[in-house]
Amino acid sequence: MAKHETPLLDQLESGPWPSFVTDLKRQAEKKPECWDILGQVELSYKDRITHWKHGGIVGVFGYGGGIVGRYSDVPKQFPGVEHFHTVRVAQPASKYYSTKHLRHLMEIWEKHGSGMTNFHGSTGDIILLGTRTEHLEPLFWDLTHDLNQDLGGSGSNLRTPANCLGQSRCEWSCYDTEECCHQLTIKYQDEIHRPAFPYKFKFKFSGCPNDCVAAIARSDVAVIGTWKDNIRIDQAAVKEYIAGNYPSNGGAHSGRDWGKFDIQKEVVDLCPTKCMWMEGGELKIDDKECTRCMHCINVMPRALRPGVDTGATVCVGAKAPILDGAQFATLIVPFMKISADNEFEELIEFIEKIWDWWMEVGKNRERVGETMQRVGLPTFLSIMGVDPIPQHVKEPRSNPYVFWKDEEVPGGFERDVEEFRRRHAA
Amino acid sequence: MALSKEDLKAAILEKSEKSPKPQLYVKDFYACDPEAKPRDIKNAANDLVKEGKLMFWSSGSTTMYALKSRIKNEEGEGGIGN
Repeated sequence: MAKHETPLLDQLESGPWPSFVTDLKRQAEKKPECWDILGQVELSYKDRITHWKHGGIVGVFGYGGGIVGRYSDVPKQFPGVEHFHTVRVAQPASKYYSTKHLRHLMEIWEKHGSGMTNFHGSTGDIILLGTRTEHLEPLFWDLTHDLNQDLGGSGSNLRTPANCLGQSRCEWSCYDTEECCHQLTIKYQDEIHRPAFPYKFKFKFSGCPNDCVAAIARSDVAVIGTWKDNIRIDQAAVKEYIAGNYPSNGGAHSGRDWGKFDIQKEVVDLCPTKCMWMEGGELKIDDKECTRCMHCINVMPRALRPGVDTGATVCVGAKAPILDGAQFATLIVPFMKISADNEFEELIEFIEKIWDWWMEVGKNRERVGETMQRVGLPTFLSIMGVDPIPQHVKEPRSNPYVFWKDEEVPGGFERDVEEFRRRHAA
Repeated sequence: MALSKEDLKAAILEKSEKSPKPQLYVKDFYACDPEAKPRDIKNAANDLVKEGKLMFWSSGSTTMYALKSRIKNEEGEGGIGN
């Protein structure tokens, strides 16, 4: 029996898609506080203003992240959501779960909270929505002792690192994303659990340029697998694709008749750098022009594979809209060896160099990509000790990569403006 | 010369008491010792939280520091929000 009338919310159930309203009503049968979520959201729709107060001093002892305080500003009307804190739980690498583990997690969450979840938040964590302050420590105890699972990052912390399936499932993965993510998570426990920076900081690990965790769009440091040598071609398999014996895209689009596979139209002509062609019945690739778009490999996975000299491209500075608009990460290191053999030393050195600089010069609530934008790419490259290369150039006029220092220019940069104006009137 | 850790912690506490704003970013503490590295200042502030002298205040996206006596708990109607 509904506790509140929710005519505005009810409309959201009438569309063709699953609705969170239906989910909340179902959950409210077990957890009556969910009626108050519906009631408060209905009031917000009516008032056109949020009734959540966001943020606070809540947390678990020793941690400065993982819990986000949330309160109702109308608790007398909706006592079930007087406290409605969010708990961020660190996801397992690649988000592998057993159903037993998930059931256990939900038992703990129904014991201590509303039972509402968000799988997964955009950082990658499991988000548990809605608990009271007095439940936080018992929940944390059960989570860590019974499930061996930790809280994730929030606030000005390093956020829970995320990675794609990597070499556990994917033959295209150019490095072991799971090992890298795991090792860095262990190394930076202090930064994950306690604030360390001017603002949030994220790193994400994708095994190949398909970038299945969208690292390039969402993380301050995106480590995206790539290769240095040539795409491996199996010409016999190319012929099988042309003959129609192998389904293109691994059969992913086979639900509809797209006609006979046309390698020219569907692969060669779609290459963004036009670096491939057919010659004597064989597929040829000018690999030095390849931008790793992955299209040809995605279409013909049995014929084409990434090279064998593998590592990662490291891009820096992506973010969703915060102070400024959304931006993709900028390429900084075109190729870095990513190896557990040297405990990811090169990557760690790179990340810590960014941190040392950003902690010093980053403004409050400024993502590292915004700091980069503010100081300019040339300054950032020189701080990182990276030599500029053509690949750093976005547009030659606005972002050149050849820089001159005062001492390299005959006569330096100092000019006598008055003397110049005597020869060239303004 | 940079302050000792204990002197740095005392300077952070003093700043937290005297600042007109009750909640401070970690960068607001940098002035407590201009010669200290940001990481050392962050560690000193986090130690003060561990000792129960400062508290974290988090909006969810940013974390600030505050003296327990200077911060209102949001619980109940009319507290600090958003």
